[in-house]
Amino acid sequence: MSVAEARDVCLRVENVGMRFGGLWALDDVSFKVERGTILGLIGPNGSGKTTMMNVISGVYKPTAGSVLFGEKRIADVPTHDVCHLGIARTFQVVKPFASLTVRENVAVGAMYGRLGAKRSGKDAFSRTDELLDFVGLGRVTDRPASDLTIPDRKRLEVAKALALDPELLLLDEVMAGLNHTEVDEALHLLREVNQRGVTLIVVEHLMKAIMSISKHVIVLAEGKKIAEGSPLEVTSSPVVIEAYLGSRFAKRQQEERER
Amino acid sequence: MGLLLFVPGFHNDYINLTFRNILMYAAMSYGWNMIGGYTGYVSFGNVAFFGIGAYCSAVLSRAGVNNLFADVGLALVVCALFAIVVGLPILRLRGHYFGIATLGVALGLTDLANNLDFLGGSGGLNLKQADQAHFYLYYYAMWVVTLVCMVATFFIARSKLGYAFVAIRENEEAAQVLGIAPTRYKVTAWAIGAMMGGAAGAVFAPANGFVDPGTAFALDNNVFPIAMAILGGMGTASGPFIGALLLSGVNEILQQKFLWLHSLFFGAIIVLIVLFLPRGLMYLVGLRGGLRRWFSDLRAFRV
Amino acid sequence: MQLLLQNLVNGILSGGILALVALGFSLVYGIMNIINLAHGAYIMLGAYLAWQLFTSLHLDPMLSVPLAFVALFVFGYAVQRTIINRVVRAPVLATFLLTFALSLVFVTIALFIWTGDTRGVQTSYAGANFTLAGVTVPWAKLLTLVVALAITGLLYLWLHRSKMGRAIRATSMDVGAAQLVGVRVPHVYGITYGLGAGLAGAAGALLTLSYPLTPTMGDPFLIKGFVVCVLGGLGSVEGALLGGLVYGVISSFATQFDVTILGQHLSGTGLQDVVALIVLLLVLIVRPRGLVGRATV
Repeated sequence: MSVAEARDVCLRVENVGMRFGGLWALDDVSFKVERGTILGLIGPNGSGKTTMMNVISGVYKPTAGSVLFGEKRIADVPTHDVCHLGIARTFQVVKPFASLTVRENVAVGAMYGRLGAKRSGKDAFSRTDELLDFVGLGRVTDRPASDLTIPDRKRLEVAKALALDPELLLLDEVMAGLNHTEVDEALHLLREVNQRGVTLIVVEHLMKAIMSISKHVIVLAEGKKIAEGSPLEVTSSPVVIEAYLGSRFAKRQQEERER
Repeated sequence: MGLLLFVPGFHNDYINLTFRNILMYAAMSYGWNMIGGYTGYVSFGNVAFFGIGAYCSAVLSRAGVNNLFADVGLALVVCALFAIVVGLPILRLRGHYFGIATLGVALGLTDLANNLDFLGGSGGLNLKQADQAHFYLYYYAMWVVTLVCMVATFFIARSKLGYAFVAIRENEEAAQVLGIAPTRYKVTAWAIGAMMGGAAGAVFAPANGFVDPGTAFALDNNVFPIAMAILGGMGTASGPFIGALLLSGVNEILQQKFLWLHSLFFGAIIVLIVLFLPRGLMYLVGLRGGLRRWFSDLRAFRV
Repeated sequence: MQLLLQNLVNGILSGGILALVALGFSLVYGIMNIINLAHGAYIMLGAYLAWQLFTSLHLDPMLSVPLAFVALFVFGYAVQRTIINRVVRAPVLATFLLTFALSLVFVTIALFIWTGDTRGVQTSYAGANFTLAGVTVPWAKLLTLVVALAITGLLYLWLHRSKMGRAIRATSMDVGAAQLVGVRVPHVYGITYGLGAGLAGAAGALLTLSYPLTPTMGDPFLIKGFVVCVLGGLGSVEGALLGGLVYGVISSFATQFDVTILGQHLSGTGLQDVVALIVLLLVLIVRPRGLVGRATV
């Protein structure tokens, strides 16, 4: 690994294993994330994607291996300090602060996130307004957070995460439940976030979504990493096809290709 | 905005005493409101701080110091320290457990006060007796304490700190993810509330002239501020005051008409408040949808 | 050694009644998730009922136990269906305040009917005791323990074998699922709360054998009852029993505690509540689920 490469890596996952009772949800997974890229994390149901997210964001401490952000091991950091390192995430099950308005919800992040300590309340609110416009929630800033539609709730999740001024943003199935148009809007938003310099790790079921924005893709199955590469490489990999569609189908495909 | 604090300089001892008590309860209610209303950690033992404050004054008086500033000052320090020391382990507990643990703290302190001789034991301690001229002094002192509580609550609610408290109340895990260190902020809320209750107690003691475990740690003093905060609206800046005003008024009337049975009616009133006004009056004021909405909200609580 | 044994026995004996007290409390909390601060008042009511029956009809308190149980059970059921059911799903605070207020009301009523004078029950065997291996065992307390154990056992069997018992346990695990299979939840809750009150009433009746009666007699039992519940594991019948016995022993040894710190004399007997608090805090910090409880804290 050259010096230039080393400087570009912001997240390092090294031989991470996660065990729950008798089950290894993650088994010896390793990969690197380059600063400024968009990494897609895919895999069939139960492959360990969300577990991986939880390990990276510090919710779980890995049973084996470690995750390093810059020089720091994430497992060593208490939950509330993870965002101060520069890592933020969205959650699949969105639970906003119900009795606060949309604006207040995001403001909390701006107040206590990575750059929050230096901000006054007023500054936090101006930053919030900026972010709300950016994600497209400008019209509903003063509504109670519990009143939002699904796509708007997703936007709120993203806004809250962005309020933490992250260097690395983890998106956990943020497009679940969105229709075609909404997915396109979401992709557009994510690209813009990336353009502002934020590294993204995106976990998604939607193939088309992942393929269109990821520069690099990692495939998990049954807790192990089974493939890694560009979107094209990964989708044409027989190993991946087998994992998703079963060995019989993979074999048939293989046979067809050989003919 | 409920900031209608008045100063009845009436030359009537009874009225003076009544309103001084209202202010005292309001201050205690603000103290509870900080940890219970804003931060969502329902303490059932905040009377502990009132008692500590009262005993601080008593002890100082015993030692020859009869200065209100010293009394309140000491009470603030001791209450804050106590809140921090006890809060660190206790605030890790959720809901029910936290409530009972705080109740246990209050009861434990009562026991302690009953047994420690330098605190006067169960006989209590006498302080310098309040004479006529000083009577008004104590009234104004209590007024100042309550005003400070109210103003402090108002500003904290709008500050970054206030948002941390509310975030913890709404969803502690989410708050953590957004960078809020829960223990630190919970303890802060608890300590601020403690100081409020303590200050009230510190002014009460010399005004009353006498402190004993029964008066200082009375369970009534524990529950009334909570009921008042609920009635007025928990987690609001004017709720505790309004609640204190109303509930004290009701209590006075009941005491006039029914003497000792008033406890029963008071209990009944609290039952009614809990059943029908769980979110307080401020909630009713801001409610859109009228009666129907009110009742459907209530129905969410039953099975 | 003698002293040790005596303390141990004393502890176990007083633990029996504590277990009974804790049982009702634990049941209500475990199944309805309500901290019933009126529990102390129910104990008191049971005690006064037994006293009244003793004074007016010369009925031995032991015989009043089942009567007190039934009376308080019915009362508790009524209270639950009319009042408590409205706030079953409400946040902690609502039920706390509500049950506290109810307790206030009940105590005042008791004050009205029986005045604040301390009353007592004198039975023929009240002071009698026997000695075994150098340890004095008061008959009254031994009887209390036996009855407490019997009731606990019966309750356990009933909860696990009877249809209603199973309905109750099902509801405690998942209200929605229970409703889907046809369990009438308000009724089940009524039964549960009634049981809690009934058990408290029975405990109260038993108490008359060894303790004086005042309208506020229930209070110390409330906090100790809670500590025992937490110690044993909230919601568990075996836990309440075990917790009661263990706590009884701890508390018994604590009364021997007599120190002088900084010129201040502290006696164990007077500091009962402090002891309770310390035990509570220790349990909550070290092992919140208690001795026997499930790990869902």
